[in-house]
Amino acid sequence: MPREFQRGHKARISDLTAGTDLYVGVQITAPGLTFDISCFGLDADERLSDDRYFIFFNQPKSPEESIQLLGAQAGDTESFRITLDRIPQQIQKLSFTATLDGAGQMSQISPGYLRIVAGGEEVARYAFNGSEFSSERAVMLGDFYLKDVWRFAAVGQGFDGGLDALLKNFGGEVGGEGAPAAPQQPQAGAATPGFAPPAFGAPSAPAPAQPQPAAQGFAPPPGATPPAPAPSVHAAPTIIAPLTPPGGGHVPPPAPAPAPYGQPPQPQPYGQGPAPTAPMPPGYGQQPQAPQAPQAPPGYGQPPQPPGYGQQPPFGQVPGQQAYGVPQGAPQGGAGVAAALQQFKETPTGQRWTQQNRKLVRVDLGMGGQPVLARQGSMVLYQGKVDFSYKGAGFAGRIVGNATGQEMQLMRCTGQGQVFLAENSTMLHPIELQGDGICVSAENVLAFDESLQYEVRRIEGHGIPGGALFTMQFTGTGTIVVKTHGTPVVLPVTPTTFADCNAVVAWSSAAQVVVSSQVRMRRNAYPGDTGESVNLQFRGAPGNFIVVQPYEV
Amino acid sequence: MNQPLAGYAPAPVTARMENHGNHMLKVALQTGNDLLARVGSMVAYEGFVQYEPNPPAVRQIARDWMTGEGAPLMKCSGDGLLYLADYGANVVVINLNGDGISVNATNLLAFDAHLTWGVERVKGLAKFAGQGLWNTKISGQGWVALTSRGKPIVVDCGGGEDETYVDPDALVAWSPNLKVKGKRSFKAQSLIGRGSGEAYQMAFSGQGIVVVQPSEDSTDRLRVRG
Repeated sequence: MPREFQRGHKARISDLTAGTDLYVGVQITAPGLTFDISCFGLDADERLSDDRYFIFFNQPKSPEESIQLLGAQAGDTESFRITLDRIPQQIQKLSFTATLDGAGQMSQISPGYLRIVAGGEEVARYAFNGSEFSSERAVMLGDFYLKDVWRFAAVGQGFDGGLDALLKNFGGEVGGEGAPAAPQQPQAGAATPGFAPPAFGAPSAPAPAQPQPAAQGFAPPPGATPPAPAPSVHAAPTIIAPLTPPGGGHVPPPAPAPAPYGQPPQPQPYGQGPAPTAPMPPGYGQQPQAPQAPQAPPGYGQPPQPPGYGQQPPFGQVPGQQAYGVPQGAPQGGAGVAAALQQFKETPTGQRWTQQNRKLVRVDLGMGGQPVLARQGSMVLYQGKVDFSYKGAGFAGRIVGNATGQEMQLMRCTGQGQVFLAENSTMLHPIELQGDGICVSAENVLAFDESLQYEVRRIEGHGIPGGALFTMQFTGTGTIVVKTHGTPVVLPVTPTTFADCNAVVAWSSAAQVVVSSQVRMRRNAYPGDTGESVNLQFRGAPGNFIVVQPYEV
Repeated sequence: MNQPLAGYAPAPVTARMENHGNHMLKVALQTGNDLLARVGSMVAYEGFVQYEPNPPAVRQIARDWMTGEGAPLMKCSGDGLLYLADYGANVVVINLNGDGISVNATNLLAFDAHLTWGVERVKGLAKFAGQGLWNTKISGQGWVALTSRGKPIVVDCGGGEDETYVDPDALVAWSPNLKVKGKRSFKAQSLIGRGSGEAYQMAFSGQGIVVVQPSEDSTDRLRVRG
């Protein structure tokens, strides 16, 4: 299931896939137009300091072959193979761009996408369409950039000039005039912090894209130009924000781009074989790369061609009908148990609550010094001197718990050390409360700081089986870990927000007032509803949210 | 029609064992280089592959396994591409290269037949063997594939005297040179683990790693199906 990216979203590559050998496919088409799709390998100053890392039709691979142009295949107008761990030190950023060849403008393009495929699985997809652009002649689609680790950002920023202007923007030289571009660089460099936040950074201020004369090497600071649809969801201080996993892919902004799946397939890349869509300038015909890829034009009616990974220099065999060679070589990362398991290593410590991966969370009891209450049996591993003891609810608590079903079988973890918590491969979401509150149904609580107060709250309404519905309200300062089956959706509370009471996991109990996000029960919320399911309606001030899981208990 | 699906076509073979996605294993088989895999784990194959469940050699080594009802392993031989999976569990591929690893029987998916391996009962934990804390110790030059319910985590035991405690239901594999101990929490109040009232963990110490899955579901799905 690929993660859907919107313009401005960013994520660590390691969160998308453990692999470093990636296939990047770009589909961008428009009736009657052709595109040049290229990849710029930029240094720390966002300059194309080494021309050999400008990967385009005339230069289909970088010197050490960490970036390779593969050509059109499998529905993609252009595709690249990126081997992240072979990219040299000085290359800090790969920018994927598409430029129009000939007349036309970007607003004419059909819906397209940039996708990342790893190990035969599509892990990320950024869809765009012509309505996001206007008269631009080029577009920067997405970036891979190195900030501690390699990350991916869906950029989707239009650009007025053609390929040479783009090249100039990156400090490359077209012919002999590279000098004017140099003064622009500080500007571009100053904008880089826009890429810094690991989560979706606040979308930059919408600056109108001024059409500039293409002659002077214009360098609009990357990240500032597009009139980014700044969804209020992002700007609003939702309390879930601080600990949202990088990328925050499950916070859906209003989607401007239609999903690419529904559209009729673009005929253009299919009919023509391996030839590039661009008219061939001299020098293209060499085709020094990709011996396999061109043999079969990908697409309909043929055995699906594996996207990318066409050439593995050491084992230059084509899979399929020939003898199955068994390469016995060591894998890329090196051989041995340690190397193979390197990707699953513990993440570095430093915080009290650390999300190890989407299904494992680690709490360092030594930090903060307060005990943690966790669901019984949720400990999978611990190191250090940790004591687990039974946490009773008390007499009153048991009575209430029994009566309402909001009962938690808890254990108290005390001592010094790290405890890893997980349960049944459910996804975990640490939520940091800073004096505000959140309502969670008891069965979705995995663990929380003992400093949090919690109480059972009753939701009244007609037509609820049992007369009422109960939930746990957590307030105070600390972290609570909520678990969901599957990737949840976090919806901002609007006047018309409904959720199935079986699928809703949590909702913010109003940031400002204690009970301002009122919960109403409605029977027959939808016509045809038999009344057996109860829908919850949520109301509240902007900034409140609800969390719904794709799983009805 | 197959446009969105085309991205899932297998990538060319580059190694004997590879991941296809996170949940499937692809093995390139070759005559004379057999594979031992869990019975029932094959989901697809391409080429000429033959399967021999419970081969005599395996029976010899694994005669203790599961009270002698036969090792749940099959020998796969021939030429072709073999795809293995275990009910959507994550698959981890390891090239041993001389190292050794001790794998929980439930979490073993496949390994090269020429590797040195043996089945042993986890010392000190015999009492807990309700669902069989049998582990398979594998070493040599070759490939091993493990399964894990959810993305696993690897913890370094540190090498000192400090012990790392693991819920046996979540344990996947560990370095064979680690010292293993059963630990029981004797306090009457300690009620951890599966609601059974039994509180026990496995304590590892020494130089090495422990692999843990984010789930306490250790049921053997391949075996349950039979």
